[in-house]
Amino acid sequence: MSLLPTVFGGLRSLFRNKRVEKELDDELRGFLDMAAEDKMKQGMSPKEALRSVRLERGSLEVSREVVRAAAWESIVETSWQDLRFAARMLRKHPGFTAVAVLTLALGIGANTAIFTMVDTLLFRPLPVRNPHDLTFLTFPRDASHFEPQFSSPEFRQIRDQTSGVFSDVEAMVLGGLSGPASRSDGLTVDAITRPAQPLFVTGNFFQMLGIRPYLGRLILPSEGNIPGGDPVVVLSFRYWKTRFHSDSGVINKIAFVNGHPVTIVGVAPKGFLGPTPLIEMEVYLPLGMMTLETGGSTAFLSDVGTCDLIIVARLAPGVSIERANAALAPLGPQLAKQYPRPGVGTSLQARPLRPPGLVNGPNPLPALAALFLILSGLVLALACLNVTNLSLVRAAGRQREMAVRAALGGTRPRLIRHLLIETILVALFGAAAGMIVGTFSLRALSSAATVTDLPLVAEFPFNAHVFVYALSIAIVAAVIVGIISALRVSSGNLSNMLRQGGRSSTARSQRMRTALVAAQVGGSLALLIIAGLFARSLRSAQHSDLGFDPKNILNVALDPGEIGYTQTQGEDFYNQLRSRVRALPGVQSVSLATLVPLGDSVQGNDITIPGYTPQREEQLHADYNALSPDYFKTMKIAVLSGRDFLDSDTTLSPRVALINEAMAERFWHGANPIGRNFNRSGDSQHTIEIVGVVRNSRIEDPYSPYSPAFYVPILQSYSSAQTLQIRTTGPPQAIAPEVLAVIRGIAPTAPVLHVRTMTDAVNNGAGGLFLFNLGAELTAALGLLGLTLAVVGIYGVMAYAVGQRTQEIGVRIALGAQRTKILWMISRQGLAIVGSGLALGLLVALVVGSFVGDFLVGIGPRDPLTYISTSILLSFVALTACYIPARRAMRVDPIVALRYE
Amino acid sequence: MPEKPGDLVQGTLDMLILKTLALQPMHGYGIAVRLEQMSQGVFRLNAGSLFVAFQRLQRAGLIKSEWKATENSRRAKYYALTDQGRKRLNSEKREWGKQVAAIARILEAS
Repeated sequence: MSLLPTVFGGLRSLFRNKRVEKELDDELRGFLDMAAEDKMKQGMSPKEALRSVRLERGSLEVSREVVRAAAWESIVETSWQDLRFAARMLRKHPGFTAVAVLTLALGIGANTAIFTMVDTLLFRPLPVRNPHDLTFLTFPRDASHFEPQFSSPEFRQIRDQTSGVFSDVEAMVLGGLSGPASRSDGLTVDAITRPAQPLFVTGNFFQMLGIRPYLGRLILPSEGNIPGGDPVVVLSFRYWKTRFHSDSGVINKIAFVNGHPVTIVGVAPKGFLGPTPLIEMEVYLPLGMMTLETGGSTAFLSDVGTCDLIIVARLAPGVSIERANAALAPLGPQLAKQYPRPGVGTSLQARPLRPPGLVNGPNPLPALAALFLILSGLVLALACLNVTNLSLVRAAGRQREMAVRAALGGTRPRLIRHLLIETILVALFGAAAGMIVGTFSLRALSSAATVTDLPLVAEFPFNAHVFVYALSIAIVAAVIVGIISALRVSSGNLSNMLRQGGRSSTARSQRMRTALVAAQVGGSLALLIIAGLFARSLRSAQHSDLGFDPKNILNVALDPGEIGYTQTQGEDFYNQLRSRVRALPGVQSVSLATLVPLGDSVQGNDITIPGYTPQREEQLHADYNALSPDYFKTMKIAVLSGRDFLDSDTTLSPRVALINEAMAERFWHGANPIGRNFNRSGDSQHTIEIVGVVRNSRIEDPYSPYSPAFYVPILQSYSSAQTLQIRTTGPPQAIAPEVLAVIRGIAPTAPVLHVRTMTDAVNNGAGGLFLFNLGAELTAALGLLGLTLAVVGIYGVMAYAVGQRTQEIGVRIALGAQRTKILWMISRQGLAIVGSGLALGLLVALVVGSFVGDFLVGIGPRDPLTYISTSILLSFVALTACYIPARRAMRVDPIVALRYE
Repeated sequence: MPEKPGDLVQGTLDMLILKTLALQPMHGYGIAVRLEQMSQGVFRLNAGSLFVAFQRLQRAGLIKSEWKATENSRRAKYYALTDQGRKRLNSEKREWGKQVAAIARILEAS
């Protein structure tokens, strides 16, 4: 009923402030004058009358404040005043403002960066039309594993029988990674080969996603059906930008893929990194162009055994995923009957494509994300503590100001609000600076991430999510800081404060600051311990026995297939290369392999073993690699029994293989496997004889249990992409120019995909230590940030304490106190802070540490060495921060100190 | 008896002001004096609480105001009941009567 007039009355007061104020003043003055006149009529002198009226009815000033405070608009109005006042105060104390803003910027920046990564990897939907309607099809294996790949006949059947629930069904193949022939693909334009991660897609792919090209055109629905029939390629925006420097002249140029020409027809839209999580797709080709990878074979279109299609389907309008799954239910068993696959379930399921989507198996990302959010939260907490401390120190100096304002009619809520507004202002500046800090650190991280071979998604764009997040944490920080300091400041006896003149801070506020710094020391110790654990884990992974010796090996990745070499030409090329490089000085041994261990991919093969009865649903599977002779010598992998490959192991001789210990143990249970046979699935006519057993060595990652693996001669399993591995006597990089000269001497245009040392490949390879490095670097950065904040905090509090006690110290010295005693007196305070902080930090680290156990290799989450060494480091740094102010206290000149004030 | 308006039963100050204005429009000081007289000096209100109540009542549309000359020829803001205010006064009076009777019954029950 009364809302509207209330609102209008308020708005009127707000906008016609001066007039309303004057009206109220006039009215109040009239009121008080009339009261005074009455008093005078009763015989009081004018002076007495005025005094008596003020006592009975209140003064004009107080009444005015009371009336104005009662109206809602006064909050808006005074807030605006407070805001201007706060801005003025901050300008007047640029030192405090700068340190506070910078501290918060670091805290908020770290959080913004981590949150952006988490958001990108876990939550952000694909930048396509209605991303939530996109699903991919799977046969679930168990709760967390599924089989996401299908054969072409299965794809066609699914597409044709689900038109009721899906508006579009599309298939795609990750080139390179799962392609049967080659590992690393490249795009050769103007005789320069650039590595590229291809995705082969059916023609309706881009139409289904509903995205528009940035340049040129995308793949058309009519393309992709005929094997080798549509030689076109679409580049991703980022690939085009980084590899072609955004040159729009590449459109309609001819590019070579495995030696075959394709036309660059367009660039995909900015921000579209492909439909898969984590890995970025760089070039898109029509599915029919898979012939480029299969060496012309079109078996992938009809073979029921080649299952490498990932099927993405868009739900028809109004269809829920549950309804789609109900419709898929009868189709699963039908497919399983027609195209039996051991170990794969029969219930066909659609799953949402949103992240993590295609991540198979237990997804480690949420746990990692939680860990890093906790750590960065800790950094923010430290930053908040620091700013709280700073403003407490400042507040101590402002108690007099507060007392005066309270005496002049400033109500307590008003004073608290005023301080809150001040901290919110600081926090907003901090948030703005923090977003900049965060964006820059992400950019640095993106460029660091590109050292790996794998096109990992390393684009973490700033968006509305991130903005809202940064703003919210800034507000939370401001409220925490503001409330703690405001409560401290405005509590307590005002007249006492006035009398003390703001000189001595109360014992309580000193205690509180001490506690805050102890909490800071604790938090930063916890951060350091976690960082230490990751660093030690990295070290232990680096020093773990890989089963091969990465030192002094140079890897040169080659693919003469890119310039159209046939198998015969390629074999000839590699043969010549091997013998010429072997003749170079400083070369111990030379070998070839299709795969480098701990790199970006692993080759696996289903196998059959005559006489071996698989357990129910057991799938016989082993990793494999194709090698030239001397591989084990180059890699220093011990051949335990049997023989190494020979140059005489060719397609003309019997098929042979060496196996690792894990494979011998798994399938032959300790019996001598030499002379036994097995078959690679899909190749029943060639039975392979085992001629040797080699030591287990790392293939996929440096920590999982060893899995079965076999090695075949590269001449019996040709692939045009091979890596030349050279063991040298000296530093391996030194020989690179000579090797490149040899390559140019044999085939001047043969593309060299990369040259790197094996050590570098292990450290930065996707399967190697890349993630350990990243984890160690990220935690180290956070730990360092924490340490810095703690040092600033300790130093600040100790320096302030010394400043406060200068007079007292002067008196003590004047009375004959020894200077070392003074030093000890001050240091003792610091020791107490650091000691209790350490205890707290150890506790926090034990709790947070239980989260990181899964991500550590070679050490436990309670590794004592880490705990002890970080504690020592922190104590040392913290005590140094204490010592400087303490020494200053020791050198206080009593005369100066006593004159002080 | 309550000595300060803050001790008045919540909301009764508004009712008392409305009652005071029921006879004729008055200015702020007039209302204060009248309340004091009627309560025989029990309710001596300070300017702050009185004017907060005026502001509240006016925004609720129960009273309206107008600047006029006083009998002593100074200018003052005169407050007057609106129709809505008159209705509210009647309903509050009824409600108050009921409540007082009820409280009295309870207090005398023992």
